[in-house]
Amino acid sequence: MKHNPYAAIPATVENIIAETSNITTFTFRPEEPIPFKAGQFIELSIPGLGEAPFTPSSSPAVKETMDVTIMRVGAVTEQIHALTKGAQVGIRGPLGQPYPLDKFKGREILIVGGGVGLAPLRALFFALVEEKDLYKKIIIRYGARSPGDIVYRKAVSAAWGNPQVDLLLSVDKGDETWKGNIGVVTTILENNKLSVNIRNSVAVVCGPPVMMKFATIKLLERGYSPDSIYLSMEKNMSCGIGKCGHCRIGPFYACKDGPVFTYDRIKDEPRIWD
Amino acid sequence: MVKQLKQGRTINALIEFISTGYRIFALQKTDSTYHLVAASKWDGNRNTLGPYRPVEPLKSIMLPPRQGVGQLLQDEQPAPFTPIAAIGVKNCDLASLKIHDYVFRDSEPADPYYKEIRDNTLIISCDCSRPCDVCFCTAVGDQPYAQSGFDINISPLPGNKFIIESGSEKGKNLLDSCNDLLEEAGQDAIKARDAARQAVYKSVADQAAVKGLDNNKNYQKAVADSMESDLWEKFAEDCVECGACNFVCCTCHCFLLADGRSDTDTPARIKQWDSCLYKNFARVAGGANPRKFRAERLYNRFDKKFNFFPQVLHSYACDGCGRCIEACTGKIDIRDVLRKALDEA
Repeated sequence: MKHNPYAAIPATVENIIAETSNITTFTFRPEEPIPFKAGQFIELSIPGLGEAPFTPSSSPAVKETMDVTIMRVGAVTEQIHALTKGAQVGIRGPLGQPYPLDKFKGREILIVGGGVGLAPLRALFFALVEEKDLYKKIIIRYGARSPGDIVYRKAVSAAWGNPQVDLLLSVDKGDETWKGNIGVVTTILENNKLSVNIRNSVAVVCGPPVMMKFATIKLLERGYSPDSIYLSMEKNMSCGIGKCGHCRIGPFYACKDGPVFTYDRIKDEPRIWD
Repeated sequence: MVKQLKQGRTINALIEFISTGYRIFALQKTDSTYHLVAASKWDGNRNTLGPYRPVEPLKSIMLPPRQGVGQLLQDEQPAPFTPIAAIGVKNCDLASLKIHDYVFRDSEPADPYYKEIRDNTLIISCDCSRPCDVCFCTAVGDQPYAQSGFDINISPLPGNKFIIESGSEKGKNLLDSCNDLLEEAGQDAIKARDAARQAVYKSVADQAAVKGLDNNKNYQKAVADSMESDLWEKFAEDCVECGACNFVCCTCHCFLLADGRSDTDTPARIKQWDSCLYKNFARVAGGANPRKFRAERLYNRFDKKFNFFPQVLHSYACDGCGRCIEACTGKIDIRDVLRKALDEA
């Protein structure tokens, strides 16, 4: 973090990988390392044009560069998608609180991702794999709209194909090549698709609000306690340091106290899924 | 030590002396209202301590409505701020600084732009000598005179007399240098000050009581428990989302961080007052908005003031200045909203 918390560290675009038609992973090389922990986020800016919050998707162990997977949805992401290699951007961070990996130790970690929501979970996955002996089991349940909307295809087929990892994908709508599960992500959280010792498990969920809502309902149904479900709350995190007021959820600021919250902390606040 | 003016000395002479070397922000009367106006020095013909707070909140000094916060890619520090003296500050404004200090100075990381101005502002506060008709500070647990947070406080007494007190090391040193002008206050004068304070306190409390409010009310519970009530819908019918209530509020601190280009065409970043009543305040890219409806945004404003801040700072973020009542285009009266919330909770 700079002395001036509104100032960003200059970074250049080193690599660009198109994941899907509207999701791209950018590799940035900041002028100075930005050491982050899984779950923390950054504010990425194009000088003079705007800034938006993202969670890095690369391994927290990699210090020199940082991957950020970005879906084109608004004014700033439109500009980011137009960037080419060598372009200069600004990065503020790391911001917010990391996943409490200490509390995850010795437990079965269920990672539930939806669409581009897999991005922060990928950083978490790397962090877990880094110390995989500390965790009992890593389970991934990932849902995308269609086979063409699946991100990290290479990673999914290679690195993620780790025998210690129980991975299952689902798409809302299949095509002629798709041989896996068809249905929303909650269909792969059912008993017959998910074998887990719930009492010794935490669930980490990230995806579109509607997906998080129904995944949470399903996890509660299956017996997860509200304090064992970790949710990434997508709010208007602007200053990133708990001052500008835009991302408030009840007594919390998503940018400062989050962006990850256990469900029990926010369940009584209005419209958490909007 | 509590002081008073020596025989034949004037309050103007004292203020001139202690504010020498400072730019000032002081009250100035225009028609029937008082404004907070910048000047190079105190002018007893133009400036006044004023009977109650000015139209403009004190935060407009420490948190300018629009402020450059650097060029984004350079770790610039704020330019040194030429010290100012804020003169005639009333306790509602003074109390509001606890909110801004918490947000911008005491919560890490500190905002260097706020800190630079805050650290370089001498605060000369002044007891209210009467309330304006929208004042209700006593009903939110404050009082129309300062007890702490000032460098120097002035209490006007009947007969053009004044009690002067320091509240900081800086203030004490300044008053210690005024031996020609000040002497130790007598017990009678101190008693007269306490009586004057009680009288103004009673005037404020009486007019708050007409609105059904007093300092025994639990507004936190009232606001929290009335979330589902249709009172928010009803009041929101009159809201035109102009944001005036936020901008004149002495405690509202939300801002927009915006990027653009400077006059010299370098990337520039600004911090600008924002309003939680604006439709897109909490909207995220892609269009999701947790407060789509005006009633939700109006509720959010009260929830932030009367429920959020009590949880994080044990304080309401409302000091009863009543500015939002005067500024509201839709004539929404915060006192009526609170009263209704108390009734519905």
